[in-house]
Amino acid sequence: MHNSTMRHGFIPPYILSRIIEHGSAPQRERALGTLSHIHHLLPNPGPPNRQPIASVLPERDLPGEPRRSIHDAGQQMLLPGMLARIEGQPPVGDAGVDEAYEALGKAHECFWQVFGRDSIDNHGFPLIGTVHYGVGYENAFWNGAQMVFGDGDGEIFNRFTRSLDVVAHELTHGVIESEAGLLYFDQSGALNESLSDVFGVLVKQFSLKQTADQADWLIGAELLTDKVSGSALRSMANPGSAYDDPLLGKDPQPAHMRDFIDTRDDNGGVHLNSGIPNRAFYLAARALGGYAWEKAGRIWYDTLCDQRLAKDADFVAFAGLTIDNAVIRFGAGSSEAQAVRQAWTDVGVLVL
Amino acid sequence: MKQLPPLGKEATVRLSRQGGFAAMQALSRPREIDFASCDERQRGQICSVLEGCLPFASADAGQGDRRYYQIELHYRENEHDGEMLLQVPEEQAPGELVRLWDKGELL
Repeated sequence: MHNSTMRHGFIPPYILSRIIEHGSAPQRERALGTLSHIHHLLPNPGPPNRQPIASVLPERDLPGEPRRSIHDAGQQMLLPGMLARIEGQPPVGDAGVDEAYEALGKAHECFWQVFGRDSIDNHGFPLIGTVHYGVGYENAFWNGAQMVFGDGDGEIFNRFTRSLDVVAHELTHGVIESEAGLLYFDQSGALNESLSDVFGVLVKQFSLKQTADQADWLIGAELLTDKVSGSALRSMANPGSAYDDPLLGKDPQPAHMRDFIDTRDDNGGVHLNSGIPNRAFYLAARALGGYAWEKAGRIWYDTLCDQRLAKDADFVAFAGLTIDNAVIRFGAGSSEAQAVRQAWTDVGVLVL
Repeated sequence: MKQLPPLGKEATVRLSRQGGFAAMQALSRPREIDFASCDERQRGQICSVLEGCLPFASADAGQGDRRYYQIELHYRENEHDGEMLLQVPEEQAPGELVRLWDKGELL
């Protein structure tokens, strides 16, 4: 005998939201209750609390100094793997290990020098990376305590450590977890992904000292092999244009709210609909000119750390806070506030 | 403890691998299994694989670019269509599920 409630198992919150919008009164009531329960179960996890083995990393003397340790999974899928390089050690000659070490250092440097943020939790959290994870593994991720990078299959994907913005993207997931804790589904999940892309490209642009008009605004430009017809995984300037390949298909990212993708796949299309806020950031940064991290980046960082940013924020709520933070930092009626508002308007996110 | 719904001949199972930094439709490689085209032994084996996934199903799979397997069950019970969705984190996915998704094979 089945319990009718249990039978349906896990229904993602974005589907519950749809039921609330379109379902009958009893359906709405049940969905509202379940959604409320889910939100209760999914609090902001706060700063990551898993620490590395005490003996691995020395205590640091000064704030703002990175504490990196890179591990080698040896094509296994066990974390963290064998210690391969630790803070202060010279290159070891393994491209994946050394790329991860350098990229995490550059990401840390950008967050510290530009935003005054001391690592993931703003308290010097150790930067732990594992490379050579799995066999031909086509992914990179943040697992709540560390970053993990696959080697790619060599056919479609290269090593995921080759792109600085990809490494910085994964580190930023940790920062988001420590701040707004944006829930990883539907629009809040797309904002989570977009913020990781935003700070990923800012780290790259800061490292290369590129202005907004000099940057390529691509995510993962070094990831796709020569066999793939494409320039990157995503384009912040022109979402939907990063690749068009017989095997992979065409980049499906929307650039405007009229093309918002309603799907149950990919946690509600978090890697798809992130194209919309990505383009808003690009438009704001281009309108403001100069180095993107100085104005647009600062406004987005202020918003990420804004206590008013709810973990289930949608695009409109986030956009409203970016405008508010532009006003706080640059003044009401400032060109910065106007540029940010216009950027959101141009992607169809209308803030009253 | 979660339970599988009764999966009769009219049931279908859709398996896909979701999420990841490089989330792409082509890489999700959805596989649809129509129970009407399976014999009783195969249906039993598939149900056994799915039951083995239940303890690992998680509503927050996918966070931070982690990949996960999505299991979509469509079934009919008491003259009504039903649906169940399970999300199993990649690192916890039973090998039988991965094999079924990847090769369409049962052990």
